[in-house]
Amino acid sequence: MTDAELREALQRAGYLADEALATTLWLCGELQRPLLVEGDAGVGKTALAAALARALKQRLVRLQCHEGLDLSQAAYEWNYGRQLLAIRLHETQPEPGSPRMAETDLFAREYLLERPLLTAIASEQPCVLLIDEVDRADEAFEALLLEVLADYQITVPELGTLTARHVPRVVLTSNGTRELSDALRRRCLYHHLDYPSPAREVAIVRATLPAAEQVLVEQAVAFVQGLRREDLAKTPGIAETLDWVRALHRLDFKALPEDPQGLMGTLACLLKTREDRLQCDAPRVRQVMEGRRAGAAEAGSARP
Amino acid sequence: MTPQPLEAIAGFAALLRDHGLQVGVAEQQAMVRAAMSLPLERAAQLNPAWRAIACRDVQDWRRWPELFSRYWHPHQARGQVRMSGQTRPSRDLRHLVQNLHDHLARTQPAQAPDAALQAPPPVAEGAPPAERTQGGASRAEPLHDRALAMWLPQDLAQLERLAERIARQLRRRLTRRWRDDLAGRRLDLRRTLRASLRTGGLPVHPVWRTPRRERPRLFMLVDVSRSMETHAQLFLRIARAFVGALNARVFVFHTRLAEVTPLLRRESATVQEKINAVTAGFGGGTRIATSVADFRGVHARGRLTRHTRVWVLSDGFDADAPHLLAQELAQVRARGARITWFHPGALPPASLALQACAGLVERFVRLNSLRDLAQAANVLQ
Repeated sequence: MTDAELREALQRAGYLADEALATTLWLCGELQRPLLVEGDAGVGKTALAAALARALKQRLVRLQCHEGLDLSQAAYEWNYGRQLLAIRLHETQPEPGSPRMAETDLFAREYLLERPLLTAIASEQPCVLLIDEVDRADEAFEALLLEVLADYQITVPELGTLTARHVPRVVLTSNGTRELSDALRRRCLYHHLDYPSPAREVAIVRATLPAAEQVLVEQAVAFVQGLRREDLAKTPGIAETLDWVRALHRLDFKALPEDPQGLMGTLACLLKTREDRLQCDAPRVRQVMEGRRAGAAEAGSARP
Repeated sequence: MTPQPLEAIAGFAALLRDHGLQVGVAEQQAMVRAAMSLPLERAAQLNPAWRAIACRDVQDWRRWPELFSRYWHPHQARGQVRMSGQTRPSRDLRHLVQNLHDHLARTQPAQAPDAALQAPPPVAEGAPPAERTQGGASRAEPLHDRALAMWLPQDLAQLERLAERIARQLRRRLTRRWRDDLAGRRLDLRRTLRASLRTGGLPVHPVWRTPRRERPRLFMLVDVSRSMETHAQLFLRIARAFVGALNARVFVFHTRLAEVTPLLRRESATVQEKINAVTAGFGGGTRIATSVADFRGVHARGRLTRHTRVWVLSDGFDADAPHLLAQELAQVRARGARITWFHPGALPPASLALQACAGLVERFVRLNSLRDLAQAANVLQ
């Protein structure tokens, strides 16, 4: 699959990737390297992995990172309960003529619980592995990831090294809350997702919400773009734009109203902190809206 | 004449390395493989492909377009100085991919990436490598002084010790996150019970946790204007020590602002020259308010919190309107960041711009020598 074909497949899967991103994703496949995607919250990092899986018609295996994530939750764990049960069963109901239970019998694949990393490595079919918000995990966990990302293998001391049958497409996302180690960055290709241009954002909203009025979409996108230029604690992302347009559409808006008071109730979709709500009072919203006509004209005239 | 493709890529990698990007052997191999994989008609896509390979973080990402166009499209690059008698090399990505494909057709494909690494550094005809343009840095920049060599090793060691001491005593913030700690006081019951499964239900391996404390995030803004000519070197040395001790992010400014953290991370005697290159073309004068606005709105957007420290190292002479600096610093303070102003003079700066900032700057600290830094260590918390 060429980069242009991949871009089309992503588009069919509902993700409008620009040419550079499509090339980077294609290169990840060519070089068999993971992709580290950074960017502000809500710009579509996680959605990218999900769309890639749909575009390639592959299964998505997701590992959500969090504080305290360790090997047993991320890669594999022995099924201790089942092992104990097997020992008890063997002691109480030995099969006639069967040899004595060996230790290796207890540390076989059937007693191994697969967690997302091992699931992706051991998958019979090619898959997309999403390691989401890797910056939330501890530094120690990054070291665990290195073997998986560099060699696509996991070493289980009792079993040996398990190597991937099909090299999975790996997408790591990070919000930049913590500096990632250089070793991890070195093993990945890198892409920084920024907020989309007005024309691209209009196209994204149109693709997701085709029933919404064109004028409403253009004006709403111009408003959100204007809001992003404001000094907000939490800048609204694409997800927020989609939520807002969806809300306006449900409320039967055909276009943004002239009076900002009519919008104040819906701004909960866009403004997510108390400070931002206080800052964006009706006069400020009016100021942002007044720039909207010029912005909407630009968004409508430009091609994505 | 167009240089050999592998040499051209090696030259480009060298340029990236010169500007702080960590492009090693593996990255250079990957760049060659990417060029080999792309069909000729998609040669323009080498730009995003190489960007994904060479960039490690958002700073590299933002610097890329300028570096790429400087090397591959030197005629389009702005703000460069053409020296008399120097000719710019002709580099065309399409030709490069074509040459590479031809070259590979003649050699063993499997050996090609490695061959790139054996290619000599960029010594192509028409491309004088040692004198590659560095953004038009001229020989008469204010930071020409290379007296870094005059620092004695014991001075540098003392500076590093001081930076570590200050880093240690900056109050660590208590976070809501927990981390594993053998000496922790809170038992992680869920994980302890989980771990007890492998010992038949006996909690032989208790998991203890303790709250995570993080050091404050430090940003340093260093004035490298002409009025600070004699002090900038000391300030950059100090900034470098804090990059090592506290992972600080360092910016230099006079009429504009540029980040130099990657340059300071590397041990290099030519760091001053590289900073010259970064700041070349900024023009004369000092525009502190404009630089702080750029810092707040672009580089540190979303990073300024009440756990952030902003250290400005400047004499406070500002060419912007005096009230602008107070406005910008007020915006930084509104996010909760604490501002400390380091000045080289004996007394705090008396410029009009800074007089308006009296309540915004937490502390003015004299910084003209290592002794001053040692004294500052007593007051910085």
